Amino acid sequence: MIVINNLKKVYNGVTVVNIPQLEIKKGESVGLVGNNGAGKTTLFRMILDLIRPESGEVLSNGEVVAGHEAWKNYTASYLDEGFLIDYLTPEEYFYFIGGLHQQNQAQVNDFLATLSDFFNGEILKRGKYIRDLSKGNQSKVGIASCLLQNPELLMLDEPFANIDPSTQIRLKNMLKDLNKRQGVTTLISSHDLSHITDVCERILLMEKGKIIKDIATNSSTLAELENYFAVGQSTAPALPTIDEEENH
Amino acid sequence: MTSTFLQHELKAFWRSRNTGKNIAVKIIMGVLILILILYVLAAGFFLDKILAAIFPKQDLIISFCGIILIYFLFDLISRIQLQELPTLKVQPYLQLPVKRNSLVQYLALTSLISAFNLFPFLLFVPFIIKVIAANSGDVVALAFVVSVFGITIFNNYLALYIKRKANLNGWVFLIATGGLILICLGDFLWHFYSIRNISYMFFGHLINEPELSVLPFLLAVVMYYLNFLYLRQNLYLEELSSKKALHKSSTEYPFLNRFGLVGDLAANEIKLIFRNKRSNSALKMSTIFLFYGLLFYTKHQLVHSDFTAVFTGMFMTGIFIINYGQFMFSWQASHFDGLLVSKLNFPDFLKAKYLLFTIITTIAFLLTTPYAYFGWRILLIHFVMYLWNLGVNTTIILYFANRNSRRIDLSKAAAFNWEGVGASQWLVSLPLLLTPFVIYLPLNLLGHPDLGLTLLAATGLIFIFTRDFWIKKLEADFYKHKYTIAEGFRNK
Repeated sequence: MIVINNLKKVYNGVTVVNIPQLEIKKGESVGLVGNNGAGKTTLFRMILDLIRPESGEVLSNGEVVAGHEAWKNYTASYLDEGFLIDYLTPEEYFYFIGGLHQQNQAQVNDFLATLSDFFNGEILKRGKYIRDLSKGNQSKVGIASCLLQNPELLMLDEPFANIDPSTQIRLKNMLKDLNKRQGVTTLISSHDLSHITDVCERILLMEKGKIIKDIATNSSTLAELENYFAVGQSTAPALPTIDEEENH
Repeated sequence: MTSTFLQHELKAFWRSRNTGKNIAVKIIMGVLILILILYVLAAGFFLDKILAAIFPKQDLIISFCGIILIYFLFDLISRIQLQELPTLKVQPYLQLPVKRNSLVQYLALTSLISAFNLFPFLLFVPFIIKVIAANSGDVVALAFVVSVFGITIFNNYLALYIKRKANLNGWVFLIATGGLILICLGDFLWHFYSIRNISYMFFGHLINEPELSVLPFLLAVVMYYLNFLYLRQNLYLEELSSKKALHKSSTEYPFLNRFGLVGDLAANEIKLIFRNKRSNSALKMSTIFLFYGLLFYTKHQLVHSDFTAVFTGMFMTGIFIINYGQFMFSWQASHFDGLLVSKLNFPDFLKAKYLLFTIITTIAFLLTTPYAYFGWRILLIHFVMYLWNLGVNTTIILYFANRNSRRIDLSKAAAFNWEGVGASQWLVSLPLLLTPFVIYLPLNLLGHPDLGLTLLAATGLIFIFTRDFWIKKLEADFYKHKYTIAEGFRNK
């Protein structure tokens, strides 16, 4: 689905992304982890043709994303509030996005009805513009608008941040379901290691712009990641204990 | 503590992305402000001559005393509309161990930094020195200065008090504005009373009893204290911020549905204009420009000149294109990334801009039809300029939009707001203002004004009919600048 060749981005002499080769296959669920400044968002933006790489290219379904628009038909993404038209009400925004994908208001309404649990009564018919919603609720609007587009490729930057625990768990189930049942390729970044290892089958670990680990998720992945991130803490749990999430 | 706050404030000013970067903007900004101050100062210096011209039969001092309160009445009205509340900047200090009183004091003090507080002095003090000091002595002059000072401060805090109250309850704003307008009407329309007489009643007495100047001073102190108390009791974020918790409802414009996706985009932009402060004021300013013609057409020697109509016609029908268009696509800066990754092709995006321009320019043209009162030819020329605006100026402005990468915060008011102003705004004004005259003026001077008008209309029409071609050109041009624009818009 996505192929990256020699992708490089430099800001003020500092290389922030440097990926010689990466392939994400159709139907994979990929998680991106890494500390702040590792280059996750920059990588996302280059895949979405929002910033110009210094060198290299991103191919989506075999076509270079830069200068082409076919990928927009099957790619849905939410990186930050900058993706939302904040002076619209959530309904107006959903109708607009639905309209881009040839859905009429009734179809959009039907779809939104299926998300009523996820929205938890805080999004629709609240008499607020998107800019008046809390960050977590804005994030819900962004994620919902992605799902509305019936994408083949779904890209979310830190979707678990800012949203409440119930919604986090609902979101995890939704993402798993999309990937398993509908074959949607998902690319998600997160700082929440247990969530990301739970949702994704493949984890990419980024450090200073490079992908330093590319692991297929298994029961010991969480411990491995925790070990990596617990810099300087000698007492990190090294034992591959039972996966916390699966123990629920 | 206040000095630390001031230091932070200065840093915020100099380090903001909008002040630091562009020296040209800073210079032009400085020159414009200087010109404005000079104008007011000049008005102050020649106030005696001006007053003598307006009220030839009256004693100078009587007419001067008469206008002071009138000035302050209009001062209060414009303050309520325009003056900014010094508010959210205190947010980072609220949870720190900083005394509430020093925060409130700081807020109250910084609100004094406003052009509104400078103008009365520039306007009145020269006259007070020139005439009052010469006639009645220094003590009386001082009493006048103190009174002007007192009323200025009183107005400042009264306006802020009303604005703060209005933040919590929108009706306060309407009632205050309505009340002030009624006061004006009571004098100027219904003649129940005369503000000039009331003003003279006080300031006339001041000449004999300078100690009366304590009165406005006391009023100022009381108003300051009221403000201080109110702020101290209400120093909570939700009450300081200017967000109003009104119920927002979804809107539809059925008329636009027939244009499909392009209509949706235009509808979004219309919502953008109505629902954000800055774009809203750009629209309001455009409506004020509809009266521009009255300035020229009422002058007898100008009403029969085609040249005047070409000039004013272009402005009146096209002011929205100029005023709003010059900041494209900055209006959408905050969600530009979202637009770029959405399933939206750029030609549709451009067509929506053309549609928006067409709708509003057509409305503007229809609203200018009453100018036919000054002659049908004026209406004809307005129509020619309407075609010109739709054809040529829209395309010019969109070409320059591709070169504009400055972010705009939509929630700030437009008056004296230089955010998003860059070289492209100055550059775009040249072709917009000059090209119609490059075509029209030579033919007019050679004695073929009708040919000149025909040529303007024809050029406009050609551009309208070849719009698809221009959209393709603009699209190709956009892809060259896309990353720069998106990057600039991401810079808060």
